[in-house]
Amino acid sequence: MLSWLESIGKAIRDGVEWAGAMATMFLQAVGSGFRRPLGIYDIFYQIVALGVRSLPLATLMGVFVGMALTWQFGEALMSFGAKNAVGSAAALALVRELVPTIMALTVGAKIATGMTAELGSMKVSEQIDAIASLGADPVKKLIWPRLAAATVALPLLCVYGNVLALGGGAVIADKVFDVPAGYFYETYVDELYPMDYISGLVKATTFGMLVGIIGCFQGFQTKFGTEAVGIATTNTVVATSVSILVADFILTMIFLPVG
Amino acid sequence: MTVVFELKNLNKRFGDNVIYEDMNLEIEEGETFTIIGGSGMGKSVCLKLMIGLLPYEGGHVLFKGKEVGDMNRDELRELRRHVSMVFQAGALFDSMSVLENVTYALREHTKMSDPEMLERAKECLDMVGLGYDPDIINRMPAGLSGGMRKRVALARSIAIKPEVILYDEPTTGLDPANINRIGKMIMKLQKELKVTSIVVTHDMPIAFECSDRIAMLSNKKFPYIGTPKEIQHSEVEEVRDFVQGRYYEDKDD
Repeated sequence: MLSWLESIGKAIRDGVEWAGAMATMFLQAVGSGFRRPLGIYDIFYQIVALGVRSLPLATLMGVFVGMALTWQFGEALMSFGAKNAVGSAAALALVRELVPTIMALTVGAKIATGMTAELGSMKVSEQIDAIASLGADPVKKLIWPRLAAATVALPLLCVYGNVLALGGGAVIADKVFDVPAGYFYETYVDELYPMDYISGLVKATTFGMLVGIIGCFQGFQTKFGTEAVGIATTNTVVATSVSILVADFILTMIFLPVG
Repeated sequence: MTVVFELKNLNKRFGDNVIYEDMNLEIEEGETFTIIGGSGMGKSVCLKLMIGLLPYEGGHVLFKGKEVGDMNRDELRELRRHVSMVFQAGALFDSMSVLENVTYALREHTKMSDPEMLERAKECLDMVGLGYDPDIINRMPAGLSGGMRKRVALARSIAIKPEVILYDEPTTGLDPANINRIGKMIMKLQKELKVTSIVVTHDMPIAFECSDRIAMLSNKKFPYIGTPKEIQHSEVEEVRDFVQGRYYEDKDD
């Protein structure tokens, strides 16, 4: 009984320590971002590296989630004879919830694991120590550009995903349920208020920040040996997914009364 | 002689693993000081403590009388402007070319123009025996042999004209010819640049050839410090066993 409680206590303590150390690194990274040189080139380089290279996955995610959800709603609404409302029904779910969250869980996890693997390899091969030994700040050089880029890239990918999800939904509405694509588009857009877009973008921005800091933190925490890089990368997937789902729930609680 | 680094009553641990306990060490200006000792005992840790890459739990690490552990970001940056380190596997930046690697510290610490940096990179590459070859300077580290990587790492560390160079096992993983070459290079750089060199190595011929003094790490301290001749002919069983390649702990076998 005691050992069971001890394990729970240890897990909680480890979790709090992990979150605390990550929050400290986040503050250090943001603080370093305001110091000159601002490293704008590095940030743009990372936006291209993280964002543009994620476009194929983001495209697939956007199109398929739009099609799948519209099909589900269409089937359900058809049984009530309300298939014309499929655009209205899909809009809120996609823009407020599914596109930002699934984008973060797929593309975000890809970005975070990429960061962990890259920085973890650099840690193992002492490149991070080398940066520090040459007088540069590894947090400023490595974490800040990635954190900033992920925070910018994920909302942009979310907007892109929303457009594709709308397109995918319109195709299914038109071809499967005989709801004209133009009508689907009108009902879809009519259903949305500015707060719905804002809520989706705030979520995507928060997820981007989480993805960036977890990916970098796990990379910097990598122990010695190549096996450690694998372990750190696996832990990143778990940590990113859990953090995104928890943050999503909290942000939904905040935005539901507002929207 | 001026003392460059002074480690006084130093304590360092990783969790329950005690690396140094009440350890003392002094490095004098202009000397080549070699640290020897068994694997995993903390020789590299000593170098990282000197340059402020690792924190310590107690005691003092003083660079020219200034406590490294108390230095702020700018002071640490200044320390690292004067003390550079050559890492065990080179630690070249994978995403940068040889030229970008060599000029990294110049971009961080100076306002040199690109042609000036190129000129300095050429000088450094020349000094480490790589010469100026456009094919090499534009190559990525993955395209270099082990010996070349070490020499590029060496060129990177001298580009900023440091006062002290820390070498972390500079000959590990190299063939005998390259080991010899690196050893000669350490002596050449010390002679030409008048730098203080602190070398961590397992390579006893290199240690005896390059060093002014050698310290052997044992029992979390440096109890044996002497000239290469003194270490080579030491009467202390532990030192003699190590130098001759026998484990002190295995002497009963």
